[in-house]
Amino acid sequence: MSEALLQVRDLSVSFRSEGREVKAVREISFDLAKGETLALVGESGSGKSSVAMAVLQLLPYPTAFHPSGSIRFAGQELVGADENAMQALRGARVALIPQEPLTALNPLHRVERQIAETLRLHRPGISREQCRERVLQLLQLVGVRDPVRRMASYPHELSGGQRQRVMIAMALANEPDLLIADEPTTALDVTIQKQVLDLLHDLQQRLGMAMLLITHDLGVVRKMADRVCVMTQGEVVEAGPVREVFERPKHEYTRKLLDAVPKGRPLPVANGGEPIVSTGDLKVWFPIKGWFGRARDHVKAVDGVSIEVRRGHTLGLVGESGSGKTTLGLALLRISRSEGVIRFDGEEISRRNYKAMRPLRHRMQVVFQDPYGSLSPKMTVRQIVGEGLPLHRPELTREQRDAEVRAILKEVGLGDDVLDRYPHEFSGGQRQRIAIARAMILKPDLVVLDEPTSALDMSVQAQIVELLRDLQARHGLTYVFISHDLKVVRALAHELLVMRGGKVVEQGPAEQVLERPEQDYTRELISAVL
Amino acid sequence: MNVEAPIPDVAAPPHGRGISRWLGPLGRRRWAVFKANRRGYWSLLIFLALYALSLGSELIANDKPVLMTYRGKLYAPVFVEYPETAFGGDFETEADYRDPYVQDLIAKGGGWAVWPLVPFSYDTIDYEIASPAPTGPDSRHIMGTDTQARDVFALTLYGFRLSVTFGLLLTLLSSTIGVIAGAIQGYFGGWTDLLFQRVIEVLHSLPILYLLIILASFIEPSFFSLVGVLLLVTWMTLVPVVRAEFLRARNLDYVRAARALGLGNRKIMFRHILPNAMVATLTYLPFILSTSIMILTALDFLGFGLPRGTPSIGELLNQGKNNLYAPWLGIAGFAVMATMLSLLIFIGEAARDAFDPRKAL
Repeated sequence: MSEALLQVRDLSVSFRSEGREVKAVREISFDLAKGETLALVGESGSGKSSVAMAVLQLLPYPTAFHPSGSIRFAGQELVGADENAMQALRGARVALIPQEPLTALNPLHRVERQIAETLRLHRPGISREQCRERVLQLLQLVGVRDPVRRMASYPHELSGGQRQRVMIAMALANEPDLLIADEPTTALDVTIQKQVLDLLHDLQQRLGMAMLLITHDLGVVRKMADRVCVMTQGEVVEAGPVREVFERPKHEYTRKLLDAVPKGRPLPVANGGEPIVSTGDLKVWFPIKGWFGRARDHVKAVDGVSIEVRRGHTLGLVGESGSGKTTLGLALLRISRSEGVIRFDGEEISRRNYKAMRPLRHRMQVVFQDPYGSLSPKMTVRQIVGEGLPLHRPELTREQRDAEVRAILKEVGLGDDVLDRYPHEFSGGQRQRIAIARAMILKPDLVVLDEPTSALDMSVQAQIVELLRDLQARHGLTYVFISHDLKVVRALAHELLVMRGGKVVEQGPAEQVLERPEQDYTRELISAVL
Repeated sequence: MNVEAPIPDVAAPPHGRGISRWLGPLGRRRWAVFKANRRGYWSLLIFLALYALSLGSELIANDKPVLMTYRGKLYAPVFVEYPETAFGGDFETEADYRDPYVQDLIAKGGGWAVWPLVPFSYDTIDYEIASPAPTGPDSRHIMGTDTQARDVFALTLYGFRLSVTFGLLLTLLSSTIGVIAGAIQGYFGGWTDLLFQRVIEVLHSLPILYLLIILASFIEPSFFSLVGVLLLVTWMTLVPVVRAEFLRARNLDYVRAARALGLGNRKIMFRHILPNAMVATLTYLPFILSTSIMILTALDFLGFGLPRGTPSIGELLNQGKNNLYAPWLGIAGFAVMATMLSLLIFIGEAARDAFDPRKAL
């Protein structure tokens, strides 16, 4: 290997923000040879995406700038290269697969036009027929089913996986030497993730491209990359061949990252016990309005689901996006409209209205997925966590309420100093702790956890799982745990319910479903987990 | 595309003095951005100073002494009405201190009097002007007199106060109503929303001017009746903004979490969603204020506004139009309007900057 295809030396990226300089990347160096895959791994905020964008010179200059370093691509210096030279490079020799396939396609252009645009741009002489031919070829290459029809589709007619395939086709259109994949699968469901990764791997082998893979998912790294650079706080703390780094991590941070996979088993529980919540043939249908508001058809988000959760147990609700698992969780709490029987602690609650539900509210709580959206941005932590108290325990004085808030914050691992701060001052993991504190302060029996870990970094996920298990042991809580991540579910759930398209696919003790799945779909889900 | 521009901890400026102390970290940042817009900041200071000054108009331009003595006793005619008989006159009515007869009486009582800077109120008719009214600026009337021989400076001073007060009141009321209406529409959606929207459309299509002309024929136009009538049209300004914010927020997780806590609708609306809608509302306020003032002036100009005899810039402008040979009338009206509206627009711009999260310091 004489000359690396991509050579990054002492690269720094800084952003100007409110008159200060924020260093996102500090003097990192790496090489990438032809045909090789290098993974940049790190948690959010580690600066890995900034590196990818720096290679393409697509950072928001001049807010962003490079205090030092060089990026050489095939001998050509890219830092400070003029815009024309970069335009000739982008899409032709260096291509990018962006993170969000849902927003990366222009919603008003048909698939053919999206892909053809890159072709025409870099090969001005191409004829209409040749162009069409090539687009078709590319769609076949990335494995889009029925490519002739898909060429005439608009992005909204495609699923997430199909859109990502189209994005890959666009990136490959001019047979680039270097492919930059920025979290190419994060936004996709697990089964689709596997397909897309397999496709990328396969294409790379066939076309001999170099690939710079940006990800936070160690499973993806292990599967795809030859070498890996572990980044944290803008610095590369460890680099080397994947196997070596994974088996003999030298740096403390790498070890922490590798250990961060949610571990442990669910708490041992007695079998039997009374059910705390159960449903019979629960349906949540959303009408599709036709003329004069008459329902033409229904979207069956949840379609005839019967479940039973026993006190002290955790029910894992697993399924891909759109399978109705969140809707089911909200219906259990009677936040979402539903039909069918819901029993809570032996009482039929499906006919109660909002007011009549109020006395039960403190016994059933919820923690949402996105810790950035679930806390009112204009309220302090004290107000957020203590909000339910005057409603459900009006006998408490102000001092007693305050003491309760402090006690629960301590339990979820936050100090007194957070009380008067606003949500935006906290990291994702801390916010999720606040959200958990808000749910737990009322001493509920049942807590619906709607993907509480999926918006968080890996190491934080493990901590939150620990915390949840800890709280369950101490207070004998019952959880309904909604997730698409089987690793997390495995660490918490006693029973498992696999959903697809609003219907139950498989149901049973977690151990049994995970080890000896009976349905093909369940098997597919399990095998897709890296 | 996801470029992780690292989000710095919001640089909360150190606990400051004055206003900064009462604001949270976010509020402090906004105040800092507001102040960084020098033009807007100075406009705010000037506007506040002018309004504060005009609130004390009675002490600046009046036809009564601020303080006087009569036979060793202290009197404050600006604040208290004294009958002429108190000074040995004949009538039980309030003393006219500009009357030479009364002045004579007081002088005989061995008293002295401190007069305001301008010894004319807005409705004082000066019978001793050199030529027929309107007269141009001279040492007696620095901005001249109008067609009824009233002092133009006093008129603009009182007129400014009335306009701004009227505007503030109208803004306050219409914002309150608008926010509540928008909140209800956005939060409940569905039929409530549909009905409200249609009502607003109907009101929007009413020609307000004709409405006022008709109303003027059977309601005596007064300060408060005019506020009431204008409220009919101005309350809608904020509805779409607030409504959109509520439509967006009602399905957010923190609102759902509040529902899961069992919070009542009113609490959810006003504690959880409204604070987030306030940004848009506050940004609009200076503009609503300037619009309100303009509507009032326009109505006064056309003669459908406040009753005759109230100090009004609109009426002054109308006089200016009818007496083109007396340019000081039009110029005075124009200057006051231009200053007032420019200041408000500048303040509005700075406020808009302050609430823009992307605006760097």
